[in-house]
Amino acid sequence: MLRKMSAFFIRDFLEEMGYPLSFAMRWGGILFKLVTFYFLGKLVAGAILPQLAPYGGNYFPFVMLGLALASFQGVALTAISRNVLYGMYSGTLEAMLVTPTPLSTIIFASMLYQFLLALVEILLYLVFSFLFFGVSLGQANLPATGVLLALALLAHLPIGILSAGFVLLLKRGDPVTLILGQVSGLLGGVYFPLQVLPHWVQIAAQFLPFTHALEGLRQAVLNGKGLGEVSTQVAILSVFAVVLLPLSLAFFAWTVRQAKRLGTLSQF
Amino acid sequence: MATNPAVAVSHLSKYFPHIELSRLLTGCNFSGSWALREVDLELWPGETLCIMGPNGSGKTTLLKLIATLLIPTEGRIFVQGHDAVRRSLAAKRHLGFITANEESFYGRLTGRQNLAFFARLHNLDPKAAIPPVAQLLQLEPYLDRHFFSYSTGIKRRLDIARGLLHHPDILLLDEPTTNLDPISAMEVRDFLIRLRDQGTTIILVTHRLEEVAKLGGRMAIMLEGRFQEVRPSPGENLEDLYRRIVVEGRRGAA
Repeated sequence: MLRKMSAFFIRDFLEEMGYPLSFAMRWGGILFKLVTFYFLGKLVAGAILPQLAPYGGNYFPFVMLGLALASFQGVALTAISRNVLYGMYSGTLEAMLVTPTPLSTIIFASMLYQFLLALVEILLYLVFSFLFFGVSLGQANLPATGVLLALALLAHLPIGILSAGFVLLLKRGDPVTLILGQVSGLLGGVYFPLQVLPHWVQIAAQFLPFTHALEGLRQAVLNGKGLGEVSTQVAILSVFAVVLLPLSLAFFAWTVRQAKRLGTLSQF
Repeated sequence: MATNPAVAVSHLSKYFPHIELSRLLTGCNFSGSWALREVDLELWPGETLCIMGPNGSGKTTLLKLIATLLIPTEGRIFVQGHDAVRRSLAAKRHLGFITANEESFYGRLTGRQNLAFFARLHNLDPKAAIPPVAQLLQLEPYLDRHFFSYSTGIKRRLDIARGLLHHPDILLLDEPTTNLDPISAMEVRDFLIRLRDQGTTIILVTHRLEEVAKLGGRMAIMLEGRFQEVRPSPGENLEDLYRRIVVEGRRGAA
């Protein structure tokens, strides 16, 4: 099992190293994003923004955590479907499926490297913010942060698996990632607190796992809230994970069976 | 003496529905076509079977069904006694599948890195698994170059090497010499003969009659999804036999 998981990790690492400029730009992009929002934060620093009060009143750390979790969510939503798409296009999916590797291993191992990279990305957001932009992280509750990140992954992963299933079935035009990626950015509270949105939109936002993950993370990192104090977010994310994960795995297995029935595993 | 056939196929049929999303989601009946009709086949360990036939006659479909990449519409497939649909993981341990797509690798990885990836998926240590197949296929000088820099011939050899990493008892080959220059094709044929002599069960799909003649073993022709095992009459050459069966088959179908 470990050997098979490592196969995917090493493959993805080597593939990424094959495109060094793209690799460097990924990390450089974080710094550019942070610089942009740092100055935006300075611009609004004098203004009284009551909606930011629950998060310490400072815009920059608020948006920094939003950006970090948004990239984490992006990985959970897209890593598997991208791998499936490339596998179908190149024929490597069929080559993998003739090896005695369970489908679930292929699914989870496909996102392992990107997931670890996303964790490093979050860490970089925090380190850059601390080193260059004076964000104090001393109050952050690390156990709560870790649990919330793990649950954020588990709650979003099923959507990524559903997305990969759609790719296998429809080849192009995966509706899941497109809709959820856009909607979470707008409704999940990456750039502004939910309180500035109309009431009915705030209610709609409660149906997104991202909203709860981000709220919990901000409370844990910015206000040092412990697991007991973010238990609502923990419970909601757990329900998302427990309900959706088996459903998404069953859906993906069904789409693979359909592709084998229709002969479309390598059609693109 | 083996107790199970290496490959046993009974009443195997494959129907490809034409894909329409609305029908897929509602489960309505599809229109479509039969790619394979009631194929029966028993291949014992160490036997070689060469399958010929016009394009679209169902040869690749048969190989992909045995390789567990397709699900049959009717009938059953057993690989070394394992049901290829219900116990596909067990069946796959015995199979090596050399695809007709020599591009099915990662372009930015070297040949060695590509083979290492697939070796790990077979739960093998790449350091132990790669050298013997690389030596067998004379791939050593190319292993540390990027896959995208390979010629078609080297890509084909890498494809074969991947199929052999886990020393499968049964090798399925889909037109392994297509697009190869005459020397490379000859080398692949010689290599297949060596495998045959070592006792590997081989199912070879090919359009090249000289390949069939050289490899020997059992022969079959597929025509519009039907599988027919053939034996040349005394004095009849392969080309005449192939032409006779295909022409007669088409006449019968008309």
